[in-house]
Amino acid sequence: MIDRHHSTRRRSVVVAALLTLGFALCLCIGAPPSATARSYQRISGEGSSWAANAIDAMRVNVRKFGITVDYNPSGSTAGRKNFLNGTVDFAASDIPFQLNPEDGSAPEKPAPNSYAYIPVVAGGTSFMYNLQINGKRVTNLRLSGQNISKIFTGTITMWNDPAIQADNPGLVMPARTIVPVVRSDGSGSSAQFTMWMISQYPDIWNDFCNRAGKAPACGYTSFYPTISGMIAQSGDLGIAGYVSQGFAEGAIGYVNYSYALGSQFPVVKLLNKAGYYTEPTPQNVAVSLLQAKINTDATDPAVYLTQQLDGVYNDTDSRNYPLSSYSYFILPTTVAGQFNTDKGQTLGAFTYYAMCEAQQDSASLGYSPLPINLVQAGFDQIRKIPGVVVKDIDVTTCHNPTFSPDGSNLLADTAPKPQACDQQGAYQCPDGTAGVSNVPTAILASAQIPVAAPTGDATPAATPTGDGTPAAAPSGEGTPAANGTPAANGTPAANGAPAAGGAPTTTTPAGGNASPNGSGSKAFVPVLLVPTGQNCDPDSGTCPAASGAPAPAAAAPAAVSPVASAVLPQSSGWNTSLALMLLIVVLTIGLVLAPAVAWRHLSNKAPA
Amino acid sequence: MTTTIDVAPDVHDATPQPRGLQVRRSRGDRAFFGGVSFSGLVVLSIMVAVGLFLAIQAAQALRVTGIWSFLVTAEWETDRGKFGISAVLLGTVLIAAVAVAVAFPISLGTALFITEVAPNWLRSALIALVDLMAAVPSVVYGLWGLFLLEGQIVGLSRWINTWFGWIPLFKVAGADPNSPLASATVYTASIFIAGVVVAMMVMPIQCVVMREVFSQVPVGEREGAFALGSTRWGMIRVVALPFGRGGIIGGSMLGLGRALGETIAVLLILSPSFNINFHILQAGGNSVSYLIASRYNETGGVGLSALFAAGLALFAVTLVVNSTASWFVARSRSGASSEA
Repeated sequence: MIDRHHSTRRRSVVVAALLTLGFALCLCIGAPPSATARSYQRISGEGSSWAANAIDAMRVNVRKFGITVDYNPSGSTAGRKNFLNGTVDFAASDIPFQLNPEDGSAPEKPAPNSYAYIPVVAGGTSFMYNLQINGKRVTNLRLSGQNISKIFTGTITMWNDPAIQADNPGLVMPARTIVPVVRSDGSGSSAQFTMWMISQYPDIWNDFCNRAGKAPACGYTSFYPTISGMIAQSGDLGIAGYVSQGFAEGAIGYVNYSYALGSQFPVVKLLNKAGYYTEPTPQNVAVSLLQAKINTDATDPAVYLTQQLDGVYNDTDSRNYPLSSYSYFILPTTVAGQFNTDKGQTLGAFTYYAMCEAQQDSASLGYSPLPINLVQAGFDQIRKIPGVVVKDIDVTTCHNPTFSPDGSNLLADTAPKPQACDQQGAYQCPDGTAGVSNVPTAILASAQIPVAAPTGDATPAATPTGDGTPAAAPSGEGTPAANGTPAANGTPAANGAPAAGGAPTTTTPAGGNASPNGSGSKAFVPVLLVPTGQNCDPDSGTCPAASGAPAPAAAAPAAVSPVASAVLPQSSGWNTSLALMLLIVVLTIGLVLAPAVAWRHLSNKAPA
Repeated sequence: MTTTIDVAPDVHDATPQPRGLQVRRSRGDRAFFGGVSFSGLVVLSIMVAVGLFLAIQAAQALRVTGIWSFLVTAEWETDRGKFGISAVLLGTVLIAAVAVAVAFPISLGTALFITEVAPNWLRSALIALVDLMAAVPSVVYGLWGLFLLEGQIVGLSRWINTWFGWIPLFKVAGADPNSPLASATVYTASIFIAGVVVAMMVMPIQCVVMREVFSQVPVGEREGAFALGSTRWGMIRVVALPFGRGGIIGGSMLGLGRALGETIAVLLILSPSFNINFHILQAGGNSVSYLIASRYNETGGVGLSALFAAGLALFAVTLVVNSTASWFVARSRSGASSEA
């Protein structure tokens, strides 16, 4: 008896010991992160939601090194504010500190020499829209910059506005209200967008600024003014979430290209100064940002590496996407508040990763990788972080798709030229964009480029339109509808309404900037990442139109009926579900009232 | 403890004299009394401190505009010194009103059903469910509202607008019920939808309070009503509702208090605007808590002070609402009318 008791007790002791051991083991097994966490402290960042998809991917990827980064995509303004307050270790912002804000807001006052900028990712501010024609989603909408500006300033309010129709000869635009969706929080996207508008269409912007009651502080602003008819949502995700809802038909909002990819929604092809409607693909953004003027005055940290984008807006390369820009990390260069050298070490390791390895993923996310000069400048900036463990990284080991041995931007050099049907004029491409690049939209027969032999699979975008293009291209690196799409598309009444405001449009034949870089770089080609539908062969330089569906074939039978709107049922406000709802209400009221009425009736009767 | 005991009047004495009561507190009593009054005072002083803190922080902004201008301006340009709370406060009140209007019938019905009608097995399940609803975080309701409800409820908004649009409250600028191509977006991101989502959060709170009160209806009176031949509805009407009046009002007011301060769900749904908009079905609106949550990160100086001023206004409104509630509850003590 006693013995057994004893043995149970001993057993329980053993069990307890085993449990403790097991627990300790668990701790140990669970420990590796915490063991390395001795060298890496948890750091936090806040800011740009425009760049958040890229930053999130970096965060996830560095976790395997034991680096934990918290990132709150609450908008560039909030990121800069909280960086100044010292509540986060680094900020991500699409625009630099607003030392002299032009929109009447209070200036931000960072301590001089306490911070450094590094560009961390490039991308395009795209216009994601939700539009249907005859119950079919439109995926190939094109708009001129002027029309975009007028839409977001409330002067074009219907999708069938003649100006929009002129941009889209292949579509019968529906008589639907346009609902511009803008950012409600302080946002770098709003700042970039308004900066572009002020540069290109100052009259449209100033008029809007007056109407919105902001005058005279009509400079570019992080806080987009709203007027009646606009919807304001918080964050890129808020805009993308709103536009992609079923009820939001007719909505259009500005988000980073990656959000449109993620939501599987199309983006607007924007007209550039070369007269082509382009999409902010990683390649197009890379081409566009060749024209960005980066401040190289390393002695002034307040402006060093910041961007000046007028060159991008006015670039005459046919592949240019005017609203391309860089987004930045703002790094601390002094120890202050909760930021110490231990955190500096982690931040340094994280930013090294962001500048080097992370760049090879950015194209697949919808961003564009940084060019080599900015990566190298970034490495130098990282050295300023207190506590950083300086690495000497050979940039060629980063597998950045823009790198080539001869120093040119490979991604930009190999970017395919737009198709002939993307040129401003009477034709329109059926191909889808962004998140729905594999879903072509039927276009009117009159807007299709006449095709001689529609079956030819690899015929470069089949451009024998009579403008006698290709011929020059086939050299090797060049692109299909390339260099010399001579001006006059030779076709009818090109553009009844002169869509692009003051743009030199049709007469500029790209050519100049094409730089079909010779065979020198060809050895390095295979790194090219092409995430979107445009499956271009880097060797032959051919880009079959629309990878999934052979474009002309898909488009041909469609011939959209011009009586789009008449087909839809008249919704008078009544339908079965509403009738049912009413019935339920009546029944509910009846069930609640009936007993009472009956009771009263009976009780009145009873005495009599 | 000081308690007065109703001494039954002496039948033999024509002029009854109540027996004088002498209160002698033991040490334990005194310690208890001290402790209780201390915590009471602490709560009160915290409230006063919060109010004072808000007032001090708000002073800078109020000095810029002046109190009256702050109350009547419908704009929020803090950097230019033109800001005011009127549109924001109106939005707050409208959201809360919609929430309570939607939640009140549901919670009253649920509470009555649980206490008076439901069989036992269902009762405990329903109680658990309602408690669960109260425990769901508000961001979940917000996401639910944004991604599910908003798309579904647009039809109801359109219907109300179509048939009751002649009432100014339900008017929607830019809505054309006769056009098949009219965008449904004018009905989204509205005060109404935000209010309905907030109602889902308010409902369990109201329901719990009402259920508690109804469950305390004296069994004797309930049985008495049945014994006199009353139907179940008759019993509810004559016994339960009058007995629970205080709890019903108190619960609703408690819900209203929560609805006034709800932030994240409103943040996710509403499209902020600073115009005075009392068309509840129309896109755009604002609320104080939304304003604070969205702008807090992005401003400093006068802007921050203005947010404190907005907080102060919300604080005052909530105080008024809750005081009114307690006044109501105190006036109509539970069971008072049925005990008479």
